[in-house]
Amino acid sequence: MTRLVRSITEMEGRFEEKWVLVSDDEPEAWASDRPLAIVGHETPRTTGPTRVSGAARYTTDVSLPGMLHVAALRSPLAHGRVTGLNREAALAVPGVRAVLDSTDTLSFRSRSGPLYAEPEHAGALLAVVAADTLVAARAGVKALALTIDPLPFVIDVDEAFRDQRIDGEIAEESRGDVDAALAGADVRVELTVETPTQLQTALEPHGAVGWWTEGELTCWVSTQGIFDARSELAKRFSVAPERVRVVADFIGGGFGAKQGAGVEALLAVELSRRTGRPVRFINDRHGEQLDAGSRPATRQTVRLGATGQGDLVAIDSEVLTSFGMTGWRAVNTPAMTLYRCANARGVEANLKLHLRQGNAFRAPMVLEGVTAVEQAMDELAITLGIDPLDLRRRNFVDVDQPSGLPYTSNQLLACYDRVAELSGWVGRDALLEPSEDGLLRGMGCATQIWWGGGGPPSHATIRIGGDGIATVVTGIQDIGTGTLTAAQMVAAEELGLPLDRVRVTGGDTRPNVYGPVAGGSQTSPSVLPAVRGAAAEVKRTLLQLAGDVFEAAPADLDLVNGRFRSSDGALDEPYTEVTGKLGNATVDGSGMRGANPDGMRANTFGCQVAQVAVDPGTGEVRVEHVWAVHDIGRVINPLGARSQVEGGILQGMAFALSEEVAFDPTTGVPTNAWLDDYKIPSIADVPAMTIAFVDVPDTALNNVGAKGLGEPPIIPTPAAIANAFRHATGRRALALPLTRARVVETLA
Amino acid sequence: MRLTLLVNDERHELEIAHTARLADVLRDELGLVGTKIGCGEGACGACAVLVDGRAVNSCLLLAAAAEGHSVTTIEGISRDGLTPLQQAFIAEDALQCGYCTAGQVVAATALLAVNPSPTVEDVRAGMVGNLCRCGAYPGIERAILRLGQVAPA
Ligand code: FES
Ligand code: FES
Repeated sequence: MTRLVRSITEMEGRFEEKWVLVSDDEPEAWASDRPLAIVGHETPRTTGPTRVSGAARYTTDVSLPGMLHVAALRSPLAHGRVTGLNREAALAVPGVRAVLDSTDTLSFRSRSGPLYAEPEHAGALLAVVAADTLVAARAGVKALALTIDPLPFVIDVDEAFRDQRIDGEIAEESRGDVDAALAGADVRVELTVETPTQLQTALEPHGAVGWWTEGELTCWVSTQGIFDARSELAKRFSVAPERVRVVADFIGGGFGAKQGAGVEALLAVELSRRTGRPVRFINDRHGEQLDAGSRPATRQTVRLGATGQGDLVAIDSEVLTSFGMTGWRAVNTPAMTLYRCANARGVEANLKLHLRQGNAFRAPMVLEGVTAVEQAMDELAITLGIDPLDLRRRNFVDVDQPSGLPYTSNQLLACYDRVAELSGWVGRDALLEPSEDGLLRGMGCATQIWWGGGGPPSHATIRIGGDGIATVVTGIQDIGTGTLTAAQMVAAEELGLPLDRVRVTGGDTRPNVYGPVAGGSQTSPSVLPAVRGAAAEVKRTLLQLAGDVFEAAPADLDLVNGRFRSSDGALDEPYTEVTGKLGNATVDGSGMRGANPDGMRANTFGCQVAQVAVDPGTGEVRVEHVWAVHDIGRVINPLGARSQVEGGILQGMAFALSEEVAFDPTTGVPTNAWLDDYKIPSIADVPAMTIAFVDVPDTALNNVGAKGLGEPPIIPTPAAIANAFRHATGRRALALPLTRARVVETLA
Repeated sequence: MRLTLLVNDERHELEIAHTARLADVLRDELGLVGTKIGCGEGACGACAVLVDGRAVNSCLLLAAAAEGHSVTTIEGISRDGLTPLQQAFIAEDALQCGYCTAGQVVAATALLAVNPSPTVEDVRAGMVGNLCRCGAYPGIERAILRLGQVAPA
């Protein structure tokens, strides 16, 4: 039986009540102590052979007969007014088929842009040119011979604050009486830190191929959300969603930046509609770094008050975010939730600056908030003379304080214990002894909190036919996280089939099996329970059929590792004895993610310890080792999970050490929006990493017991590194990243 | 201009612009799209191909300069099935999104050809030009070292 119920859903901390389809036949959660044959065991990713052989097709690889290519004209100024574009000259370039700029009336509406006459950030799109070849399109852009008048711009935080260039309301949340508690605290610390603008820098840039044919729309998009892209395209172009197909077979990374259709798809479709040809629009690297989004810079001031024993009595956090002209506010989430504290206040304002608007980047806002709060906690521990991990244990909280609701599971204390044991935390002061190489060493820790419980709606279907192959159809797009492999594992586990008898598909809206956007660490906890539900239904039917074939009671049979077995062991036959009789018939099952438990909050937790070595002469900081222990519920695939954590740590490390957009203060234009001067980690920067999970299934959350893992590993890394730097040098850098210049300045 | 290119042991007669980059000729003219463009400026290594056995960023090389040399792409490396190196990439989960992977495999193939048993330092020095934003480096390192251990010294 399926029913519609009202249920609370969550995405990156935004809660919403929705009608949700649920099934009464959903399997019970696997018990924590139940041995599983496939789930929980290292499994190479199912797409591995396709990816390592170069056979995987990404959006950048889609090539259609007659396809046009797009080149973009972008604003060279942070703020300006276009005074001249020579469209005729561009259209006269051989091979150029269409030019669009802000004077064109497009068939879709958007709040601003997508093509600007008065750009408000460097890199904003002014015009696009579609041509038979990319070379011709670029020649067309050149022929436009842009002239543009500069307008005044503001990118400086102090200037913007002085002029009160505030976007919308200043957000304030609070509980208790923070001022009184701070005044009455035995110990107070105050810390102001800055975090940098970080670029997602997916190796495959944003891009799309749009093909408009008689009211049918097919669009290949490098997106994290094919269904979001479908609804966006349907709405913007006034086409019924069932006439829109979005395909994303392989996506070359996203890290939050690739939401929905994106401007590339909208313009590719618009151009296709006008020219009758398929149109490909892929950002070049410079365009991507200028205009595909960022993690916005912040300035945060955190005040903590505590008793002499280290019990927090007040947390006060003020945040300024450099979001561009508008953005959202969640940097104070860690201040409000991370530790038990009756008096807490978070004030948060976005400054209106002439910058590309920030967007989601792995653990958006929460990473930034943790980076400040966890450095302040470190200062508090130092002031109190308490072990920083003990301070955190002491202020552990097992409810979500803003709502007062309990967590579905919380293994944070176990994370602290395990990470301390793995890293040799108690002996960390030995690192302060002078070393032969002259480097200063130290160790720091930081806590992680994030949502990641997932929820409905999420669906899956499974079909098995005469060939004995079970095909799992999902609506998810695997951006590199390995969710398709996890889906294959869960299906095989539930069906009782070997892995190689199960195939899994995704990345296409055509089957109309809905999956959520790959973001917020919600894919696994949303989709895997639906996959398991579908597999359970198929298995029930297969057992019925086995009962017919073997003249046995279905309730007495099980399907294990591809064989039907009776409980007394008398019957033991390959499953193909049953599926082989299906002929052209198929057995189908469908599953859906059930509602989240009422009155609970689902969060992931963790703790990381970092060890750094600082060269006081050159200012170089090397991260030597990171120990990471996270609570993500049940670990479905330890092999893929380890990769996720390694990747998260490396991105977090680079946020702390090297990644930062630099702006020319005289023009407001980024000076390092390329890949050779915006420093992402290389293989030479990789520290030793020790990774573990508490691995206790969250049986209250969903039927597989898994929480998400996309964001958690990046969150505590920067603060752990900053705290290790403090331990090593006795100084705290007031801004990240810890570039050589900043380190030398800090140590001076 | 007219050009003869030897790619994956096949001879191709092409008519191309003299400014055409090898990466674009491979991808657009020959349909060998396993070679990826991550930056187009020589900074990421996603476009690496073998030219006479050495890894070269094909976004920086004029196609004309490859005439008279033997070019091998990821498709050529994979022609007779997955190599032990590619299998090691899968076993060690040396990839996430996979966009950098072709370039990584090409660069590692070139590295192992001259240094069949590399040390960690050799691997890091040899692979430093191949960026992976997903951070699959530990797996890449393990995969290459694993090959080194089984290969005859
Ligand atoms: S695409 Fe050639 S090095 Fe990046
Ligand atoms: S696997 Fe994504 S860039 Fe390397």
